[in-house]
Amino acid sequence: MIDQALSPPEMLEISCENCGADLIVEPALKTAECPYCASTSIVERPASGGHTEPVYALGFVIGRDRARELCLAWIKSRGLFTPKSFKTAPPERGRGLYSPAYLFCAVAHSEYTCQIGENYTETYTTTDSKGRVVVRTRTRTEHRSLAGRSASYVRDVLVTASAGISNKLLEQVEPFDLRALLRYTPALLSGWIAEEASVAREECRALARTESLEKIGQRLSRMMPGDSHSDLRYSTRLEDEVTDLLLLPIWVFAVKHETDAEPVQILVNGQTGEVAGFVPRSWTRILGVTLIVLLLALAVFAVVGAALSF
Amino acid sequence: MVIAIGSCERCESPIEQGDLRCAICGLCVSVEQEERDVLAIEVLRCEDCGAVVEYEAEHQAPHCAFCDATMRLERIEDPVEQTELYLPFAVHGPEASRTVKRWLGSLGWFRPADLREKARVEAVRPLLWVGWAFDAEATVSWTADSNAGARRSAWAPHAGQVQLRFDDIVVSASRGLTEEEAAFLTPSYDLSSALPESEPPQETTVEKFDVQRSQARGRIRSAIRGVAARIIEKDHVPGTHTRNVKVEPLIRALVTRRYSFPAWVMAYRYEGKVYRAVVSGQDASVVLGKAPWSFARIALAIIGGLILIAGAAAAIALGS
Repeated sequence: MIDQALSPPEMLEISCENCGADLIVEPALKTAECPYCASTSIVERPASGGHTEPVYALGFVIGRDRARELCLAWIKSRGLFTPKSFKTAPPERGRGLYSPAYLFCAVAHSEYTCQIGENYTETYTTTDSKGRVVVRTRTRTEHRSLAGRSASYVRDVLVTASAGISNKLLEQVEPFDLRALLRYTPALLSGWIAEEASVAREECRALARTESLEKIGQRLSRMMPGDSHSDLRYSTRLEDEVTDLLLLPIWVFAVKHETDAEPVQILVNGQTGEVAGFVPRSWTRILGVTLIVLLLALAVFAVVGAALSF
Repeated sequence: MVIAIGSCERCESPIEQGDLRCAICGLCVSVEQEERDVLAIEVLRCEDCGAVVEYEAEHQAPHCAFCDATMRLERIEDPVEQTELYLPFAVHGPEASRTVKRWLGSLGWFRPADLREKARVEAVRPLLWVGWAFDAEATVSWTADSNAGARRSAWAPHAGQVQLRFDDIVVSASRGLTEEEAAFLTPSYDLSSALPESEPPQETTVEKFDVQRSQARGRIRSAIRGVAARIIEKDHVPGTHTRNVKVEPLIRALVTRRYSFPAWVMAYRYEGKVYRAVVSGQDASVVLGKAPWSFARIALAIIGGLILIAGAAAAIALGS
């Protein structure tokens, strides 16, 4: 990723097959629209060029108009502390983008140890409030250690391979419905922009492994017997790992709410319509609300104080 | 009807027509990738009119704006698949009716004395009900509490991992029969007698599978969990009392077949009420049904029992 940023971006020169015009294409894009004849060309690179061929894609279900509506409704529904300029700023013409992500699956073999709490009832004698000796029962927990092995498949772990969209933002528009998976074919890209995977497969794999281990921890936790458990420790070996490149349908809107501020990126899940973005905070509004709350508190205090002094 | 087109390289489960990934372990079904050595610029054209096509969200496919044609994309298919193997009827209508009559007379003293004489068989209907049968291997990891090794608490935790093989486990997909009825009839069938076609008796109600492939796989997976939990509880957890039996199966080589099973569904009327019984279509001795109770006889038994207890109590009191 860093290497790419340092070296000057090599623009790709192609000529439109439809009308013959020369086009300059950004290297990270897979499609281009000819400005002269508006035909949608698909750029296919040799597989040896360091770019991975996608295996699957999810198609767009949400069209441009619907995506824009969802985006507007989302902006309007932001909270009190959002600047007015942001709430009224019109989102710029959205771009439908196929964003690359890796789909990870593996076989997980785990070994674990855990403290299992088994409850039992105990009778004991005590004195009650009137000083009489009484027999009572109470529930106590006995801790037993348990060690074991577990094997399971880990499926459907999704990690972004896009440099333009952060994993954190992508997670906010997840989940995607993987039952609608399509086998990748260049035809899917016609008329749309597709980004090449720019995060290395190994890096994505490391992220996917971390996410898988979390999933396995939750699964093991549910698996433990007894009335309670604590101190679950496990080590997991992931075998037969597969990472397949997948293209995700995403609408990207940019909202420029102030002339000197960076535009805010808003994502709309092209399959489900889920919206997410990092909303700017208005400090003047936060300050204003804080002052009003303080004044109200003071007023209440004064009224109560006055009432008590009578 | 053969729909398996190969098997998964990782878990050996069959891959069926229309699968893009293995349903069990999620491995991608690979296709022969043609070598892309040259830089290619491709303008997609409509196969019908030659205009430039564009992927459209409302069609969810590349669409030609000029002639309204859409291109087909390879997607995960989720069809409703039908029976591939039929078990033939070995029990015939009259035999099934006789069986039910005999069964009515064998239900014991608490039923009405005239049940067998007065019950009027209203309808004897042949039924082909549907179900899946699967074979699979699995590495089953399990945990459970049992009384073995217990100290102060009545329970002690246990864990283990075993290899299990499942052969011809039947899971009902029937709407007409209850889970209980299907489970009761299942052992009476000889799966090796199955034929690719059937000539059921006239007026047979032929059930169809009505769940999609993905749902069917979900039902089969949960059946594997259920069967594995029962086997683990019976054979692998030490001790005599168990609780919290939890299993995690790692499934391999899951092969599923779709069957139609023959049965006779009988409706009979006794004193104005209709009751139902089912008879296996392959073994007349397998009958399950509902029958009325004789409240007079039950009351009589209770009174008799009370008199006996009172008598015994009186005898003890006198004796002392």
